[in-house]
Amino acid sequence: MIDLAKRDIEHTLGKFIVTAMGVGMLLGIVLIMIGVYRGMMVDAEILLDDISADLWIVQENTLGPFAESSRVHEDLKNIIYVVAGIDKSEAMTFQNIQLPRPEKPVRVVAVGYDIYGAINPINPKRLVAGRELKNDHYEIVVTDKTGFKLDEKIKLGRNFYTVVGITHSTVSNGGDPLVYISLKDAQDLQFSYSNKEIQNNVARGVQNAETFMVNVIVARVKSGYNVDEVASDIRKWQHKSVYTAEQQKEILTKNVVEKSAKQIGLFTTILVIVSTIIIALIIYTMTLEKMKEISIMKLMGLPNSLIISMIVKETLLLGVFAFIFGNIFSHLVYDKFPKRIVLEIPDAWGLFGVIIIASILASFVGVKKVISADPASAIGG
Amino acid sequence: MQKDTAIKVQNLVKNFGKGENLVKVIENASFEIKKGELVALIAPSGAGKTTLLMMIGCVQEPTSGEIWLGEEKVYDNKWTAKDTRAIRREKIGFIFQAHYLIPFLNIMENITLLPQTNKVSEKAAKQKATELLEYLDIADKAYAMPSQLSGGQNQRVAIARALANNPQIILADEPTAALDAQRSISVIQMLKKIALEQNVAIITVTHDERILPYFDKIMKIENRSIVFHELEGEKIV
Repeated sequence: MIDLAKRDIEHTLGKFIVTAMGVGMLLGIVLIMIGVYRGMMVDAEILLDDISADLWIVQENTLGPFAESSRVHEDLKNIIYVVAGIDKSEAMTFQNIQLPRPEKPVRVVAVGYDIYGAINPINPKRLVAGRELKNDHYEIVVTDKTGFKLDEKIKLGRNFYTVVGITHSTVSNGGDPLVYISLKDAQDLQFSYSNKEIQNNVARGVQNAETFMVNVIVARVKSGYNVDEVASDIRKWQHKSVYTAEQQKEILTKNVVEKSAKQIGLFTTILVIVSTIIIALIIYTMTLEKMKEISIMKLMGLPNSLIISMIVKETLLLGVFAFIFGNIFSHLVYDKFPKRIVLEIPDAWGLFGVIIIASILASFVGVKKVISADPASAIGG
Repeated sequence: MQKDTAIKVQNLVKNFGKGENLVKVIENASFEIKKGELVALIAPSGAGKTTLLMMIGCVQEPTSGEIWLGEEKVYDNKWTAKDTRAIRREKIGFIFQAHYLIPFLNIMENITLLPQTNKVSEKAAKQKATELLEYLDIADKAYAMPSQLSGGQNQRVAIARALANNPQIILADEPTAALDAQRSISVIQMLKKIALEQNVAIITVTHDERILPYFDKIMKIENRSIVFHELEGEKIV
């Protein structure tokens, strides 16, 4: 039996491909939107995975340090060793800063850590040039996305920092590039005031901030100990909020990423609906263009099923071609975006399923037109 | 019902609208057309030529009456068959003013589409199509697209398509309207030859008086009734 859909597409191949490419670009954007969400999830976990702490001890009743601001005393890192099960602990700071560049400042998240400490947040696998921090002051490790080169000097606060190492693919949960500085420098940047500010505070009778504060104490638990039980002990004893690694991930994904995820989900849904409507309109137009032929086919006695299968097949093929073009498009452009885009095969298959269903739904408008076509209109010019 | 009768119509009525808006188009039309006859259907515009053609072609339902196609009574105050489309597919061939070939199918596919729908094998359908194309002297265009053929060639393909399902009846709606005098006569001669050789009844709607001498019968709609006219002058055989 002659495949009417195949013949029709072959007859107007150029038009069909251009149409599929247009719809494909929309689907490519859908894939990129999903990729943005996946990228956010990956970004959210990079720092957690690199630090690889079992426990995150923060200011009581806060979700810090990523979801809420948190301040704890640095010496807590030593005190918690008395809790049974603590293997290693370290104090860390996290703060948003702007690195000055001639063209435009770069917004980054600075991770402050004790360079002699037990837990190092720099994953050696991500270090692509230079070295980790070795000196207590004025050294900085930056991620390649900041654009800084090794040995370059960066002015932060009152001092110049030398770039000693460059990492790749290190970003905060918000997608900002990460830089690493020593804890002492970080405390200075976060908690030190300028001389004028100090003078002003003294005049007002305000005590100046303590610089031995940090944002979080991270700890690893000895093997054989239950992480949840150790966390519970610290909560009771020190009146701190303590989160396990899993809980911290949940805070990041639920509290920090969830709203963005919902927003992206809504955009994605709207785009899929728009794509479906566009496919339906295209199929409707393609059907309208063939109404005379359809009337003649009906007049000659061709069954509706044969004509309907042509419309449905064409719609499905349009969907499939658009999906293929969408994939090609998304893979061509995804790395041009400033934030991480993660394109995953299961997401693409999921979208394929959605597009097949959307194409079937879209074909209904063409099918309806076929059913209503009057064979009598073929006679009489 | 005689065996050589291709179309028999009895007391056929077609009205449009109801009450004050009632328009009577055909009233108690009765006629019979035999196999092998080429019949012209003439009438002024709006007299109901196309309506009559559509009723015989099982496209438009009459208001009342009876229609036989061959030995099968297809209408007896209602359609006798559930699927009138199957009747068209199996018994009737259509030829239109323009060729109306399907533009995305080549000539061979245009001709074999209907037979294949009628469960004729692709091989047999192609063989029949080749014979028809040879018969109509356009066998060399079998795999060309309609857009590559002239108007006259396409009209011959349309005739081949109408014959492909071995119909008992061909209904032609002004098949020469778009052709010059010489080609019009050529097409009518071809239809006459087909009617005789294929034993098919052909009803052709026409306004072209120059081709009337080639028809076996002239059927006219006058005052909503069917009347048969004798040709003035000699009939061309």
